[in-house]
Amino acid sequence: MVTRINIGPVHPSTHGVLRLVADVDGDTVVNLEPHIGFLHRGVEKLVETRMYMQNPPYMEKLDYIAPMSYDDAYVATVEKAMGVEVKERAMWVRTVLLELQRIASHLLWLGTMANDVGQFFTVFMWAFTDRDMVMRLLEEASGARMFYVNMRIGGLIRDLPPGFGEKAGEVLAYIEKRIKKYENFLEKDPLFTERMKGIGVLSRERAIELGVTGPVLRGSGVGYDVRKNNAYYVYDKLNFRPQTRSDGDCFARYKVRMLEMAESIRLVREALAKMPEGDALGMPIKLILPSAKNRMVSLSRETPRGECLMYMVADSQKPYRLSIRAPTFINLAAMPEISRGCRTADIFAISGSLDLVMGDVDR
Amino acid sequence: MKIERSELGKKAGELKAQGYSYLVKITAVDYEKYIEVVYMLRNLSENRDETLEVDVDPADAWVPTVIREFPAADWYEREMFEMFGIEIKGREARRLLLEKWNGKPAPLRKNFVWNAPYETSD
Amino acid sequence: MPITSIVSGYLHLSGTLATAADTIAYAVAISILIVAFDYVFGWLERKTIAKIQKRHGPTYAGKYGILQNMADFVKLLSKEHVAPKRADGLLFLSTIPIMLALTIFLVFLLPLAPTLLETNLGFGLLVVFVLLSFMPLIIFANGFGSGNKFAAISAQRSVVMLLSYEIPLIFVIASVGALAGSYNLASVVNAQSQWWFALLMPIGFVVFFVAMLAELERPPFDIREADNELIAGWLTDVSAPYYVLALFLDYSRMFLGSLLIAILFFGGWSGPLLPPVVWLLIKVFVISFFIMVIRATMVRMRIDRLLRFGWTWLLPLSLINLILTYLVFIG
Repeated sequence: MVTRINIGPVHPSTHGVLRLVADVDGDTVVNLEPHIGFLHRGVEKLVETRMYMQNPPYMEKLDYIAPMSYDDAYVATVEKAMGVEVKERAMWVRTVLLELQRIASHLLWLGTMANDVGQFFTVFMWAFTDRDMVMRLLEEASGARMFYVNMRIGGLIRDLPPGFGEKAGEVLAYIEKRIKKYENFLEKDPLFTERMKGIGVLSRERAIELGVTGPVLRGSGVGYDVRKNNAYYVYDKLNFRPQTRSDGDCFARYKVRMLEMAESIRLVREALAKMPEGDALGMPIKLILPSAKNRMVSLSRETPRGECLMYMVADSQKPYRLSIRAPTFINLAAMPEISRGCRTADIFAISGSLDLVMGDVDR
Repeated sequence: MKIERSELGKKAGELKAQGYSYLVKITAVDYEKYIEVVYMLRNLSENRDETLEVDVDPADAWVPTVIREFPAADWYEREMFEMFGIEIKGREARRLLLEKWNGKPAPLRKNFVWNAPYETSD
Repeated sequence: MPITSIVSGYLHLSGTLATAADTIAYAVAISILIVAFDYVFGWLERKTIAKIQKRHGPTYAGKYGILQNMADFVKLLSKEHVAPKRADGLLFLSTIPIMLALTIFLVFLLPLAPTLLETNLGFGLLVVFVLLSFMPLIIFANGFGSGNKFAAISAQRSVVMLLSYEIPLIFVIASVGALAGSYNLASVVNAQSQWWFALLMPIGFVVFFVAMLAELERPPFDIREADNELIAGWLTDVSAPYYVLALFLDYSRMFLGSLLIAILFFGGWSGPLLPPVVWLLIKVFVISFFIMVIRATMVRMRIDRLLRFGWTWLLPLSLINLILTYLVFIG
């Protein structure tokens, strides 16, 4: 007998306001339908009424776990529309900040993921504490703890503060140790690996067809990473390798993110060591006027959750149209297929491994 | 690449055969005189992008579905239908996705009236 | 004069009246003990898990937040009681008090000290476990009665879980009875005056401990009220005043479970210098603390996995334990 259960939008482990309607036969999921839109704020329409540099705060609130990456994606799109070159040092600083943001975002994901498979908040609290250290670094660089609005056209609002490199080095050394500890703690627990391995398998072919991005795509064995395949800023000057796993299950997605954190730590260290001296300040907000009317720009960025593509039609004062390809939107669209045939308890392991942020899904 | 609405299905199939099997995004832009529907495809092995642009008349806005070629198009097409009022022909009608917006004009069209009373479905 | 006849001695009663007065006094004392344990342990669990998780836990109410649970208790009692429309009133409202009463009754049956043998049944061990097996069924009734789908799933899970751990549990009890030569709980304790049963049959102890965790709904077997799958399982629709009872029930069952483990495997009240009851409580505290630390570290098991675990590991191990016990100590 098939029963329909309604999970959410108010539920402890749907990461916000996701509603899942699951048809279950016994303990097996027959069909799953995500209902989204509870956090829809119409940002795409809203930005059409605001001047260019009024929009970064809106962009940041889309993905509130990794605001810096959206800030950067939007500002870079405007830069591309205006035809402005980013200053050399600013590119390095942005790379450092984006990778730090990725570490912070993945740490939060790790905690919620562990929670979703039934770990009672221990890893969550540990990872949360560590994330706060990274966020303190970002606060020092930008002045705000969560919503940074740090990017300006052609550069940044301010350069890195003096002594940032040493502090970042200390924090990263600590985080590196902690990541090892988490891996030990979780992967040596047979119950954890059991809840993750072989659950929610997404094959390579299906992953491409369903258009999933980011760690979900790389967990299925497709080595596509915008940072490598379509390198921006200084990623081509750094020794960067995209992390892939071929199993396509929850554990592969978990492992990809863990390896990405280690990779990001390495990238930040390398970038801080190679960073040139110079000026990193961006243009004042009032001097912004994209040169061409009705010019289409599209730009991809690898946010912690996957590829974010901004498609902008520029106008003189405001964006004529801004279309955002939210990475979690398309990852969630693949969820019914991933979770077909799994156990009821695995729905949450799968939704956790997709790293959903509802602000990003609904826009 | 600008193409006609009628040859969209054929062109999408051709591109898929050439290795453009990854659908990045379907979006649309309302230029008031016409609506441009944009299909962004990617060839993952050769790392190349291709864009298909289809112009449709705002009064008679529909496009054929590409869901058979690209399963990823499902939610994008539903979003397009809701946000631009572009009907997707050739696939079953599905529940509205984001806003449950049923009114006219669709929210992301340029002639959308802010603060107008509206009704939702579902 | 034994401790249990203080009341009747004080009131100069005799005969049935004396027995009744003593029993009631003992029951009240047991209830107070359980409530005190619940309170202290509720606080201790919050503090310890907070320490493990690098938090502070409750700090405001009282010294070290000791009054926090009292504050929560008062707050929950002051809230409105809402029964869902679809709930079956009698089933939904009566089951949690019945379970709490059953738990206290079971503690009442257990020997807390050589002088506190109020009900020294010859087959006490069996009675305790028969009554304990009713718990999942009462949970089932509650979950089904609440008219909530999550609670119904939880109810079904509770019965399925029963299948996985109950039979190994019975086998271990059989071997405990065989080793002690009696199903009398006092004899079981006395039989451990030389060696604890945990040392004599380690396999049996492990099986019993794991099955007990499942029985008590403690992680990693808190499948019934898996908070991030089933919201709160069978407690989803239970509103505040009854939720207080459910919280008390949770810790009372933990007390009961730790007490059983202490009596059956760690020599009950036996120990040097200190009075027997103190020894027993120390053991109960240590075991409960251990169960609590497990909560902070383990990942929840899936229900199908628990069934597999129960039938492929616990059952064979408990059988091996029974045979070994017979061969080594009796045969």
